[in-house]
Amino acid sequence: MKYLLLLLLSFSAHAEEVLYLYNWNNYISDRTIERFERQCACRVEQDYYSDNEEMLARLAAGAAGYDLIVPTGNAVESLIRQHALRPLDKSKLPNLRNIAPSFMNTWFDPGNVYSVPYAYTITLIGYNSEKIRELNLPVDSWAVIFDPRYLAKIKGRVTVLDSQRELIAAALKYLGYSANDTDEKHWDLARDVILKAKPYWAAFNASSYIRALATGDIWLVHGYSNDIFQADQDAKAAGRKFRILASLPKEGAVLALDSMVLHRSGKHPRLALSFINFMLEGENSAELTNLIGSGNPNMAAMKYILSEIADNPAVFPKDMKNLEMLRDLDYRQRRIMSRIWTEIKLR
Amino acid sequence: MNDSRVEKWLLAGPPMLFMLALFAVPGAIMLVASFRYPGEFGGLAPLNGLAQGFTLETYRFFFSDFIYTEVFIKSVAMATLTTLFCLLLAYPLALVIARSPKRDALVLLVILPFASNFLIRVYAWMILLGPQSALSEMCNAVLRWFGAHPVELLFSPFAVLVAMVYAHLPFMVLPLYANLIRHDRLLLDAAQDLGASAWQRFWRVTFPLSLPGVYSGSALVFIPALGMFVIPEILGGTKDMLIGNLIKEQFLVTRDWPFGATLAIMLTLAVMLIAWLAGKAGGRHA
Repeated sequence: MKYLLLLLLSFSAHAEEVLYLYNWNNYISDRTIERFERQCACRVEQDYYSDNEEMLARLAAGAAGYDLIVPTGNAVESLIRQHALRPLDKSKLPNLRNIAPSFMNTWFDPGNVYSVPYAYTITLIGYNSEKIRELNLPVDSWAVIFDPRYLAKIKGRVTVLDSQRELIAAALKYLGYSANDTDEKHWDLARDVILKAKPYWAAFNASSYIRALATGDIWLVHGYSNDIFQADQDAKAAGRKFRILASLPKEGAVLALDSMVLHRSGKHPRLALSFINFMLEGENSAELTNLIGSGNPNMAAMKYILSEIADNPAVFPKDMKNLEMLRDLDYRQRRIMSRIWTEIKLR
Repeated sequence: MNDSRVEKWLLAGPPMLFMLALFAVPGAIMLVASFRYPGEFGGLAPLNGLAQGFTLETYRFFFSDFIYTEVFIKSVAMATLTTLFCLLLAYPLALVIARSPKRDALVLLVILPFASNFLIRVYAWMILLGPQSALSEMCNAVLRWFGAHPVELLFSPFAVLVAMVYAHLPFMVLPLYANLIRHDRLLLDAAQDLGASAWQRFWRVTFPLSLPGVYSGSALVFIPALGMFVIPEILGGTKDMLIGNLIKEQFLVTRDWPFGATLAIMLTLAVMLIAWLAGKAGGRHA
């Protein structure tokens, strides 16, 4: 019986031709996809999401058939605990050795039973090179985002992320606490820091700050490293006289590691594994970094990455010690944080 | 059953079923959800018997801090302002259209913006109100001339209000137009013959007759404006959180369905209360 099942499985494996990939917007190069399609003589179908919550909500609502998903750490943990993922057959992933050990064996998936690191982004400070130089502001600390002394010079030209976790994490880091601190007293302190800085900010912003940075409407942001890279590319393409640069604050920041996982509802786990192994090849992995400026956990990719990106300490920090991945909160903590956020938004 | 009753059920049945399926049932689900515990990963916690599965904690949480009531008050104020400005802008427009010989074409123009996506139209306001836009620069040039500080139009309550009025204006124009077009011109002629001035003809004949249009237009603007979350999210600054944003956040970010459901129930109650109060006030006038 068991052999019959295996036989059937291998038969269906031969009939496989479409890999269903559920991925972030703009999170893989078209050329990489084309190359994989040629190599496997199959087709890759992509669906997109723009945040983890959206992806989790769609899966929770019954979306199925995705072979491969690329969630962030806390979402991987959530999927593991929901028993939604397939364990990986590591014998099919010889290229796994390319991943730097510091990105393996993470808290959300000890032993990498289910997940393989794909790329990472850091939440940091992005700025308009000319304006910041003119105003002589220090961008090496969260103080420039939170301290009214500096903000007074740049009032109305600053945006912060419209994300309670990210913004409160930045304020906690500024105060010297962990981004994952769950002490409500520390959250209140973070709220006070935010409320003092808020009058100087133009907006809480989810993604349109990319455009605002590139056009020169906004000069300083709390944002994602790849968005800031994108803004710089756009500013260059538009022939602006300034650059959009990123700076990693000395107090530390939030790191979001996205990993490839196999969803249980996917029908082509073997094809998905060969895709993971393909993406672990340095050249393919580097293509993503060169496209969107994301951080890359793949050691074999470094030699293919444009030196401008590879040498950028905001994309490839020398010291990862101060970077933290956000962990999920339980519902009572989420409720309290949401109330603090409402206060922040209303005052 | 006689034929006319069958006919009545055949006609009224499908829309009633539709309302039942898409209003009453979701409403009931929401009411039940508001008394449950949230699940660890979102959704609702599994039920372990009636005693443990249900709770009043979300309602207690709502009243434990005045902040949520404040969000409601702010949202009602914003929706009221939106309705008021829509009325002020839409009334003259509807009047002109109703009395124009080209009224069909003009009504078409009022509806025309619906042909393009709502989100795109809201994003367009980002460009129109941005600091480098002609509008902003003109506005600030005038302010400078008077020696005042320049202002930022985008990311402000002003931007939210402008886009709210813009987005809801057609919903005020159309019912007003539908009402005004039915007015008998002879009434105005008669009033003029009896010596009424232009203002008196408007205020004592046209306006009272148009009140049903004013009421339905106001309801059509006020209620969706109260639940709006897209506009404050895109154009709002650091203070523009409305009740719609708060509810959306409970479901998509905080993953707290029971509290989101509680907020939605409170919003429904608030709308019903306001409608009832308005009905009483309107009833006295008529």
